[in-house]
Amino acid sequence: MNKKKNLTFKQFLDQEHIAGYIFSLPFTIGFLMFMIVPMGISLYYSFCDYNILTPAVFSGADNYVKMFTDDPTFWQTIGVTFYFALVSVPLRLIFALIVALILLKTTKATGFYRAAYYLPSIIGGSVAVAVLWRRMWATDGVINHLLGAIGIETSFAWLGNTKTAIWMLIILAVWQFGSSMLVFLSSLKQIPASLYEAATVDGANKWQQFWKVTLPLLTPTIFFNLVMQMINGFLAFTQCYIITQGRPMNSTLFYTVYMYQQSFEFYNTGYGAALAWVMLAIISLITLVLFATKKFWVYDGGF
Amino acid sequence: MKKAALFMACALAVTALAGCSSSSSTAETTAAAGGATEAAGGSEGGEVNMIMTWWGNQVRNERTQQALDLYAEQNPGVHIEGQFSEWSDYWNKLATSAAGQAMPDLLQMDYMYVDQYVKSGLLLDLTPYIEDGTLDTSNISENTMASGTVDGGVYAICAGINSPALLYNKTLTDSLGIEIKDNMTMDEFFALSKQIYEQSGVKTNVAYGIGESWSAYFVRGLGFSCFTEDGTGMGGSAEEWVPFFEVYTKGLEEGWLIDPGVFAEISVGSVEQEPLVYGSTPETQSWCAFYNSNQLGAMQNAAPEGMEIGITTWPSYDPVKSNYLKSSQFFSVGATTAYPEEAVKVLDFLTNSSDANNILLGERGVPANSVIAEEITPQLSEQDQEVTRFINEVVTPNCSPIDPPQPDGSNEVYDLLNRTVEQVCYGQLDAQTAANTFYEGAVEIMSAK
Repeated sequence: MNKKKNLTFKQFLDQEHIAGYIFSLPFTIGFLMFMIVPMGISLYYSFCDYNILTPAVFSGADNYVKMFTDDPTFWQTIGVTFYFALVSVPLRLIFALIVALILLKTTKATGFYRAAYYLPSIIGGSVAVAVLWRRMWATDGVINHLLGAIGIETSFAWLGNTKTAIWMLIILAVWQFGSSMLVFLSSLKQIPASLYEAATVDGANKWQQFWKVTLPLLTPTIFFNLVMQMINGFLAFTQCYIITQGRPMNSTLFYTVYMYQQSFEFYNTGYGAALAWVMLAIISLITLVLFATKKFWVYDGGF
Repeated sequence: MKKAALFMACALAVTALAGCSSSSSTAETTAAAGGATEAAGGSEGGEVNMIMTWWGNQVRNERTQQALDLYAEQNPGVHIEGQFSEWSDYWNKLATSAAGQAMPDLLQMDYMYVDQYVKSGLLLDLTPYIEDGTLDTSNISENTMASGTVDGGVYAICAGINSPALLYNKTLTDSLGIEIKDNMTMDEFFALSKQIYEQSGVKTNVAYGIGESWSAYFVRGLGFSCFTEDGTGMGGSAEEWVPFFEVYTKGLEEGWLIDPGVFAEISVGSVEQEPLVYGSTPETQSWCAFYNSNQLGAMQNAAPEGMEIGITTWPSYDPVKSNYLKSSQFFSVGATTAYPEEAVKVLDFLTNSSDANNILLGERGVPANSVIAEEITPQLSEQDQEVTRFINEVVTPNCSPIDPPQPDGSNEVYDLLNRTVEQVCYGQLDAQTAANTFYEGAVEIMSAK
């Protein structure tokens, strides 16, 4: 103890754990200031009647009670968000897996194709693509013109129909399969060739090899992708905010966009904060459920 | 291992969510920081640094900044920084600055928000400055002053007068040999829409998605106002709201109402994408648009070559009761400003100085100061002169005083209104059910405030 106190400043800094703290300081401060503190504030506001302009007034669990008993839009956005996440995430994973399998064989052009297929993940969530998407599916947009070119004359309003509008957002989400694809690719490469050789010797065809060898060994990766993408799916915002604004008739109103509307358009900021915490609870619950099912289908042994 | 992964996933969910919900607090911090530097700048001997904020278009940004620069030139030691944004961003930003106790010194205000901001104590009462002569309002009409008055105090000075105006495709109506007359009634409007649809296939957009002013305007014609006088409840009754929704059901029946699907593809309320000037086929076009008089110039600019835009009043069952003059926007002074006196002087400059208005040229609407308005008229573009004529000769003789400022909760009521209209346009509600749903919902929203 005494010895420690007598350290020079330089020696103090040279201790490994101190250096570690100092190097992580920029992140730590940022994390505390911009994550933990705002979260604490948001938790407090969720129990308040708060409209940004005037100081918050504590109102107990009113916001939560209203949400569950007296807000049909809340339930509608829950429905829309679940539909979006539960449809788009599995579709995206299937798509990512198929493309990963195709790109597994290395040829000269593989690098190019991998980059090309990854591109939508980088740009797909951006405002520019959202605007482009809206134009593409317009009544006089590219899609209808292409349909016209192959003989299906139509001026169908893809985004204006309550049945189809949500699918435009789902397709956009599925198109951004790049990051899942990369994860699949890397774990596909780790499957030992000896397993396939053994399977071939045993007389399994390609299809059987996929089902009996590839897929079981991929389940940890599928699980990882599923959890991460599910969280992203529930938090989707830009697509809805830019492309549809929830139209038509709230059929595409995502939970996060509704939260934004309540907070910053109707100035029910306390209610918006409460919505955020309920979403957190929902996502945590889903993640827990996914983890609980893990032991039934995720292969956990070695190769 | 399993536990670690579970923890990581949860942590990610938490941080991602916090990312969403924390944006307001971050903005607050920056706003507060801005306020602090501003105060620090002020303490240096004699220097006055102020911030003025507004929303609007490029023309407005340039002209306003020029006028402010001119003021700074004439008053050494005064610096005014202009900050501008789009309409919806503007209100988010202003609200967060208010929460951070860092209201701008001078700001542009809207009728929709005046009440809320005054009740929250965020605007400076200008009455003492009017009394001591710092702010000259002698050339502004009583009606116009009244629109910026809340509970006996003057909190907002009109930055330009406009009125609701139906902008229409004059080239189309001329080619069909139809003459559009001012102050048309609803029945004339129905007949006109039907005739235009039958002869040209061009449809009609009845303020879809932007029903705020339109609904208030419409019910004035029926003899009641959207909100009660004291701003605590809804005017009229469910039964009395039925005719409003019947406009849409009638349009659906007769075929002239534009398909609501069109609006999924555009930014509703944006002049450039209004079906009047934007649509590529008759079914996606509208012959008219429900806008304001000061937007004629913008709409004409957005129109394809060879399309002339005309201006007339919105239809109503009783045009004289419905029509009103309004301040397209106001100038206000933030309650927390360090230089109230200086800020009011700038306000006076923008309102009463010929120099300033020769730069601004009525871009915000016809100037409230009638002497100035007359002075700048010859310098205006053809459209702006047409707007001035419209305000002075068509609306002024045929109008009634404007409704009181919209109360707290009106944003939500109008959102409900627009969503209900949407359901009617999609054929899911008849007028009676729509009126009941809307009225009940609106009463509930207002009673919660």
